Amino acid sequence: MFIQTDKLTHIYMQGTPFAAEALSDISFSLAKGRVALLLGPSGSGKSTLIQHLNGLLKPTSGQVYFNGNPVGGSKAELLKLRRRIGLVFQMPEEQFFSESVYDEVAFAPRNLGLADRELDHRVERALARVGLEPALFTKRHPFHLSSGQKRLVALAAVLSLEPEVLILDEPTAGLDPAGRRRLYTLLDDLNKKEGLTLLIATHHFDEAVALAEQVLVLYKGKLAMDGSRNKIFSNREELVKLGLALPPITEIMHDLADSGLPVNRDIYTLEEARTEINNLKGSGKNES
Amino acid sequence: MGNLPESLIKARELGYHYVGDGENIYPALKGINLDVRRGEYLAVIGPNGSGKTTLLKLFNALLDPSEGEVLVEGISTVEHDKIPMIRQICGMIFQNPDNQLVATTVEEDIAFGLENLNIPSAEIRQRVVEVARRLRLDKLLLHPPHQLSGGEKQRVAIAGILAMRPRCILMDEPTAMLDPAGSKEVLQTVSDLHKNEGIAIVHITHFPEEAVFADRVAVVNNGCLVKEGSPEVILTDLKLLHEFGLIGTPAVELAALLRNDGFKIPNETLHNRELVRALCSFRPIN
Repeated sequence: MFIQTDKLTHIYMQGTPFAAEALSDISFSLAKGRVALLLGPSGSGKSTLIQHLNGLLKPTSGQVYFNGNPVGGSKAELLKLRRRIGLVFQMPEEQFFSESVYDEVAFAPRNLGLADRELDHRVERALARVGLEPALFTKRHPFHLSSGQKRLVALAAVLSLEPEVLILDEPTAGLDPAGRRRLYTLLDDLNKKEGLTLLIATHHFDEAVALAEQVLVLYKGKLAMDGSRNKIFSNREELVKLGLALPPITEIMHDLADSGLPVNRDIYTLEEARTEINNLKGSGKNES
Repeated sequence: MGNLPESLIKARELGYHYVGDGENIYPALKGINLDVRRGEYLAVIGPNGSGKTTLLKLFNALLDPSEGEVLVEGISTVEHDKIPMIRQICGMIFQNPDNQLVATTVEEDIAFGLENLNIPSAEIRQRVVEVARRLRLDKLLLHPPHQLSGGEKQRVAIAGILAMRPRCILMDEPTAMLDPAGSKEVLQTVSDLHKNEGIAIVHITHFPEEAVFADRVAVVNNGCLVKEGSPEVILTDLKLLHEFGLIGTPAVELAALLRNDGFKIPNETLHNRELVRALCSFRPIN
């Protein structure tokens, strides 16, 4: 398995009166090239889990594996790991510190000690991958970009390390519908055309769910659900108990099916729903 | 209402521009004429960068207009000595709950605004307790704010405003950082304040399903007020919404596609239940 955890447990401030178990006995795996959603209410442990996957935290017990090898060990090994697993934090543009888009995107690969020409190449490629024309953007001040462009620059700053895995924490927070669509189209391309493995932690999964193959649900530090998208979203009652809801389009299909219409519930996009509902025309049911 | 003006907030020919690098001027708002009526729930929608947040900051005297004026209860926001009064009338809630809580306990945080208004401590105490009870925060009064959930943090921010007895709450994407339960908690709280206490709400949002609760929806694009109307009119006008990169609720979007395919669905369909009802009685037209 590409990414795997085995009985991963994390206790913050262990041995003090403030000890709090953030993750308890988490075992899951994610295959190479997959897209997984990580769901769960605030405080369920999503951010803690994410930080374990690229070695930012050390397990209290249990183990994380990447590509079959245990995560951890020397600082050099951890740095190598973080080149392969890119982490995009929540509201990443709040951490911008450079005077130009070039410096912002070049920051991480520059620390690898790359030659100038290779660095230029990395920055240009990363910006092009997020759909920002390098010639138009490298010299601009990151603070003067639109919110959507800032988010894309933040993503380019992670892609400049050429990672194989992207882990994203609430990637569309604060973006308008057009910005959200643009970001998810981009992530879909990175996955389908370039084979990046994606793990997306989010509360607003209307768009993300169209990409996902696997869904993990954390609840109070435990892995409450893990399975295919269809399996997880067939269980509306359980999701509601865990403080979650169905994706909005799926919810409409559940409502229709519950009202007695012969429609499939495993529907996640508008176009899928349109096709499925149009099938009613030929089904004979509800026809005069 | 006595001789109070009919509008709580009045924006007249309002414009604002930011000054960027060098002499460059970026117009953020132009020629806005918009009133917030007493006790109304107004949703403001528009793409990123359209000027929504700038508008809210002008309402709250966080920015001075470059052109035109904003009157809050008849007071112009450029009368800087009246700013404490303006902010007492209109409190503001921001996107990120962590950026607006300042004190070490919930109690002190709710009291913060009152302390700055020079209110006697006995009365502060009384108002904090009363507000906490109304928002069901009484058990959390002695907790440090950083230990609360996102929804609780936003409710503490609302409580701090409520303690100042405002007539209006301005909210800038208050649920962007919250989980579904937290979002529901905040929207329910605000909706109750609007319905039961007649507090006016101005709510900026990117989610059409949140704007559905408003009495009126205003659409802002490229610094201009493009259109305003009831949620039934604005939120079902997909041509308008799509033109500005916005979307309708899933029910509105799906209904539009299905109408093209010959399904009969009422034009004012906003919610799932209306769509489901229409589809369950569907008979093909041919």
